[in-house]
Amino acid sequence: MTARDAAVRIKGVSHQFGAAGDTQYVRALADTSLDIARGELLCLIGPSGCGKSTLLNVIGGLMTPSSGSVEVAAKPVRGPMPHDIAFVFQEHALFPWNTVIENVRLGMLFQGVPKSEHAARAKKSLEAVGLTEFANHYPSQLSGGMRQRAALARALSLETDILLMDEPFAALDEQTRMILGEDLSVLLARTEKTIVFVTHSLGEAVFLADRVAVFSARPGTIKKIMRVDEPHPRRPDFVTSEKFTALRNELYALLHDEIRKTVSESARSED
Amino acid sequence: MADRDERAAGWGSRAVQVGFLLVVLALWYLATNRWGVNRLLLPNPVAVWHQLLDVLRTGEFWPDLRVTLIELVVAFALSMTLGTAVGYFVSRTRYAIRVFDPLFAGIYSIPIILFLPLYVLFFGLGPASKIALGATISFFPIVLSTIAGLGNVDRTLVTAARSMGASEYQMFRYVLLPAALPVILSGLRIGFTVALLSIIGSEVIASLAGLGHHIVQLGEGMDMARMFAYIAFVVVIAAVLNSTVSFLEKRGRRRI
Amino acid sequence: MSAAEQFLLRHPGVVRLGVIVAILIVWEIAARWFIDPLFIAPPSRVIASLGAVWQTNGVPAALRLTLFELAVAFAIAVAIGLTVGLAVGLQPFARRSLAPIILLLYGLPQITILPLFILYFGIGAASKIAFGVTHGMFPIMLAIIAGVQNLKPVLLTSARSMGASRWHILRYVIFPHMIPSFFAGMRLGMTGVLLGVLLAELYVSTAGIGHFTTMFTENFDPTKLFGLIAMLAAMAIVLNEIVRRAEIHFSRWR
Repeated sequence: MTARDAAVRIKGVSHQFGAAGDTQYVRALADTSLDIARGELLCLIGPSGCGKSTLLNVIGGLMTPSSGSVEVAAKPVRGPMPHDIAFVFQEHALFPWNTVIENVRLGMLFQGVPKSEHAARAKKSLEAVGLTEFANHYPSQLSGGMRQRAALARALSLETDILLMDEPFAALDEQTRMILGEDLSVLLARTEKTIVFVTHSLGEAVFLADRVAVFSARPGTIKKIMRVDEPHPRRPDFVTSEKFTALRNELYALLHDEIRKTVSESARSED
Repeated sequence: MADRDERAAGWGSRAVQVGFLLVVLALWYLATNRWGVNRLLLPNPVAVWHQLLDVLRTGEFWPDLRVTLIELVVAFALSMTLGTAVGYFVSRTRYAIRVFDPLFAGIYSIPIILFLPLYVLFFGLGPASKIALGATISFFPIVLSTIAGLGNVDRTLVTAARSMGASEYQMFRYVLLPAALPVILSGLRIGFTVALLSIIGSEVIASLAGLGHHIVQLGEGMDMARMFAYIAFVVVIAAVLNSTVSFLEKRGRRRI
Repeated sequence: MSAAEQFLLRHPGVVRLGVIVAILIVWEIAARWFIDPLFIAPPSRVIASLGAVWQTNGVPAALRLTLFELAVAFAIAVAIGLTVGLAVGLQPFARRSLAPIILLLYGLPQITILPLFILYFGIGAASKIAFGVTHGMFPIMLAIIAGVQNLKPVLLTSARSMGASRWHILRYVIFPHMIPSFFAGMRLGMTGVLLGVLLAELYVSTAGIGHFTTMFTENFDPTKLFGLIAMLAAMAIVLNEIVRRAEIHFSRWR
């Protein structure tokens, strides 16, 4: 991949929390490099605490890595880049005192979209996620799945090339997750965005991703990259195909040892 | 069915509450009219009622009410301004919160009414000492709630706004302020209540005018029926003021 | 970052102490050179005068009496608060009908009837204890009512599923569950008792603490007045701290 095709270039990123010798010292991420192509959907998967969310925050400029650098659209990332990157967080992060449409408009206000465009863009993004009827509801009046749709609408209205999603469906039940995953695949096939998607779920990773980056246990780094050659939008029956099962099993084998390592380590540190 | 039971239970508890009030009134009436309790200790409820009507009719409460209200307004304006301003500046960094929050909480746990003699020495027996005490006591709940409100805003909301490019002003106006407002408003309500209490309290203990002072004067003149009437009047005034502030707090919460 | 900066970053308490010292220094300078000594005393002189305050005829007795009143009022407030709180809280109907009355009484400005307490109970310890009790008992009642109320139903169900009797449930589920609320109530109760007793002490200017604060004020003797109030504040801080420590200790599992 050349520098020009890459939407995101991650170069030798390491990150630790706290100073060496501190009780809270944690090496979260070790020397990670990766290029993410334009229009690609990349899933990051790995055991808890392997630094996948840290990497996502570094890409988005919400965290400065201890060493290494990230380039987005051939520019070095030094802070949030609201015109290039939009986030969807695990805890939806909707402002509870604003209605759905107010949340969407507020994102555009922050990003600096001219007021005259707000209405049209908000309408478009709410239609895209199927929440038009709920525009004037408060987040507390929506189900978990609808809240994540609203958060997605807010991110879409920013019209960025890159979308970073940090375990967006983690708090939802299995069935809602499945439907949201299918809808997301359809939606994203249309928009040609570059997406980085952090998840814990093997099935979700295989179903959504063009490539899955598997992380090792802490300090995390990319252990293997798995390719999923299946056109977008993915059809619901992809889940039941043999290809899906094979990929999922491969991913399971890759992850299993790392997860064991993490679990036994945390059991030891609790003693 | 369950609904009906619940409603019946609701009426039942309402009946107990009304009954409680009636029993208290009846005992009071019997104690003074039948059992011969000394009128200098406990006046007759009917006499108290007549006195209350008289207090309201003559309007003799106006000068005292004016003094107390002016003290309250000035004291609360001071503590509200200082409390929210100091709270805002402290809440700007985690570190300042860790330094100052325990300090304010520690001072607030001392009964500040103790400083009244100092304030009387410094500011005299007039309204100034009441204003100073009321402002001091109500400063603490206001500053503590401002710090708590602005310091405990959900981090994901702040991160989300940052990722969307919110400026400092936008962060304050659209994220920090609406998130903190309910906590700050309840701090202001508590501050108002304690300011009112401490002002009436310091009028009772050492003063020349005001509602609290008038109660003490009536007591010293052994004018018991009128004293009881006046106490009832002050209690109602306090209740009206506190409910007004609670109402404003609820309004404020809705209008974020 | 220098080592000193790192140390301060990790120990905000040291900076807090620095802030207190800075305030005392400003106070000292202001009181020594800028403000009429009839009104304010510098902290150094207040500390030096603590001995003299203690020597003042009657002050030790007044302080001891105040401490006694606080202790008795607190004990009575806890006893009444616990009994009424449990009686009202454990029975849904009683809770619904009586809790609002308690809340209402707690919300009344009791300070308006302070002169009545003195009239009924005299200027001695009884009136001050009584006023402390009425200030302290309501928050304890309310804390206990709330504590009994928000027990998770699943805990009761699971205890019953294991065959617990009514007594078992009271002893092993409800009682341990309300311990933290009980101590939270005790802390609020202590705040109330301190307020009530000290209000009554300050109100009665012919005996006890109120007599001395009035005397020092009328003699324009701020040094001794500050000293006496510092002693009372220290007493309040110690009592608050005891209750707070107890609360932390008994609420560990939370």
